[in-house]
Amino acid sequence: MATKEVVTRVWIEEGCIVCDACEAACPEVFQVTEDSCIIRPAAMAAEFNKPLTGSIRDAAEECPVDVIKFETMMAEVSDEAPTAADPPAEPASAKVPAAVPAKPKPAAAAKKADKPAAKSAAAALTDDETDPAIAALLRAAATRGGNAGILRSGDIDSDEWRRTAAAQLPPDARQAKLVEAAKKASKDPDAGRRTVAGGAALAVGWVAFGTGLGVSIGPAFGRFMMPNVLEEPDPRIRIGPKKRYLEMAVGEVNEDYKPQGIWMIRLDDRIAALNIICTHLGCIPNWLPNDKKYKCPCHGSGYTFDGINFEGPTPRPLERFKILEEGGIVVVDKSKKYQHELGQWDQKDSFLPV
Amino acid sequence: MVNYLAATSALDDVKHVINVLCEPHWFLIISVVALAVFLLKYRTVTKPAVAGTIGALCTLAFLVSCLDSNFVKIVTKADNVPIVMMMVLVGFLLWLAFRQAALNDERMERGEPLREAGADDKVLVWPDLVYIELIALVLCTAALVVWAIVLPAPLEQPADPNVAPNPAKAPWYFLGLQEMLVYFDPWLAGVVLPGLIIVGLIAIPYIDKNPRGNGYYTFKERPFAISTFLFGFVILWVVLIIFGTFLRGPNWNFFGPYEFWDPHRPAALLNTEFHDLFWQGLLDRRLPEHFLIRELPGIVLVVGYFVVCPVLLKATFFRRMYLQMGFIRYNVMAFLLLMMMLMPIKMALRWMFNLHYVVGITEWFLNV
Ligand code: SF4
Ligand code: FES
Repeated sequence: MATKEVVTRVWIEEGCIVCDACEAACPEVFQVTEDSCIIRPAAMAAEFNKPLTGSIRDAAEECPVDVIKFETMMAEVSDEAPTAADPPAEPASAKVPAAVPAKPKPAAAAKKADKPAAKSAAAALTDDETDPAIAALLRAAATRGGNAGILRSGDIDSDEWRRTAAAQLPPDARQAKLVEAAKKASKDPDAGRRTVAGGAALAVGWVAFGTGLGVSIGPAFGRFMMPNVLEEPDPRIRIGPKKRYLEMAVGEVNEDYKPQGIWMIRLDDRIAALNIICTHLGCIPNWLPNDKKYKCPCHGSGYTFDGINFEGPTPRPLERFKILEEGGIVVVDKSKKYQHELGQWDQKDSFLPV
Repeated sequence: MVNYLAATSALDDVKHVINVLCEPHWFLIISVVALAVFLLKYRTVTKPAVAGTIGALCTLAFLVSCLDSNFVKIVTKADNVPIVMMMVLVGFLLWLAFRQAALNDERMERGEPLREAGADDKVLVWPDLVYIELIALVLCTAALVVWAIVLPAPLEQPADPNVAPNPAKAPWYFLGLQEMLVYFDPWLAGVVLPGLIIVGLIAIPYIDKNPRGNGYYTFKERPFAISTFLFGFVILWVVLIIFGTFLRGPNWNFFGPYEFWDPHRPAALLNTEFHDLFWQGLLDRRLPEHFLIRELPGIVLVVGYFVVCPVLLKATFFRRMYLQMGFIRYNVMAFLLLMMMLMPIKMALRWMFNLHYVVGITEWFLNV
């Protein structure tokens, strides 16, 4: 009698690629079906698994995608039990069941020693340097029927595998068969029609939903986006009697309405309302009475008193507002602007004649 | 007493000279010359003794300047303190890089291994990098807290859409852009050139596939690449920030560092247009009616600049480079280079001739 680590429970997680390796290693426990791999019902019992510890371990290790997991415990087993091929157990310290990751990697040599007859063909194919996953594939293929060749996706040139039943095929060819079947299924005209119809139904559904939502909530949402109080000052500003501006000297600038965005200027034959916004990038210039110019503090554009740009980077003159007289009172309409470079400064309403 | 007076008046003379030298054209010329000398003599200049002396002299000049109230006012303005620090940092980092390049270049000439050779500078993200980052984070936070307490940000009056502060300055890192806006039309200086700066920087690895200088400091192996980059960075970015921060005063006029920021100082800068210079000055004729004919000379000049220069350079200075780079990469590089040089050219034209636009199609908002 000796204390050994034995497998009590074994299961397969998601991700099986149906490669047959596990069934080859341990047909008592694993059964590979058409599209996945299952644990045979008998292997649900711990007592059934214990004697198979060695081959379950092998199967787990050979699974190229490592989806076979198992649980072990320390147990006393008789030396005659068919667990002789067990890899050396981890130091047997505690007698408690321990869940260990199913990836113990004993030396490749130990593995080979364990099933000399079945693996003779595989041994020839497998060389120690190969990727373990590929080695497993090779071994599995060699085991099934002893001489099944490996068909890799790259060199499937004969049609053999299409005619052979899946169960008789080596793993790569089975994979190819599966892929082909899957492709065919998606090209199936019926399936296509089904998809189109389903898509159409889905689209109609979403459009209906969207429309319903839009109709019901849309207006409310739109209203929500609008401010409750709209402070939009009247663009028409009354700036006092015309007399006041007639009294200005030619070349004078009246800054009384600068807070409203207007400079009133007096030319020899007219009065006009200048927009105070710099035509360069929208700063507010200052009127410098000594230099007789508007000078912008942002990039240094300068304008003469009537709004013509003469220094700095600005490309064009200041704009003028629409100006009218209503019963002796001057009204400036800021909603209409006149630009010099478009020749609009002589248009009616861009000035008040003196 | 007499001595004192003589000393102050001597100091005033010096201040005056410096004020004049800080006029933009002199300042730009001096910076370019200084950069050129630095690049040509980098092995001497970066010797610790020489570099230390230069640094000490600059510090001394700065301290003496602080006797001047106008200078102090500009330098200690809460907004401007970081830019003073930035100037120190730019100088220090330039020295650091070029010192190592100088040492490496000397080693290369003697056939010795580079300083970086064999250095195993691999570090682990955890813990090395994360620790450093943590420490840096704590230090930065502490520094910012202290800074915010010692130099509080000014709280100004509520914004008024009808009043602009005089001068109105962008955040310091945009002052280079603001300075560009003085010389170019908004769409060029505000959209095209900044866009090209970013695109151009992104394009560098595709234009410059020369592997030399990867992973080690050198100047001798990459003189053109490094000089071009430094011209763009130091002259066309840092110097412009210095202009915007320290030298631009009320009404966006230039003021010397010791000058009082007088908003009423007269400055007459009557713009001239290239079409006026050409048609009236050169040909002594009236301006043509149609604006396309009017602007034709300017358009020819600009297009010619971008077409002729690459060809000329290809045949002369850049012959080897053209062979190495091939047609497409060479032309992309030349275009970006010419775009960059547009900036100093236009600045010089503005300062010398008050030139407003070379091409001025105001009718289409198309001005260059
Ligand atoms: S070895 Fe792994 S992948 Fe292959 S059939 Fe068994 S469980 Fe699936
Ligand atoms: S915004 Fe006025 S000069 Fe730029």
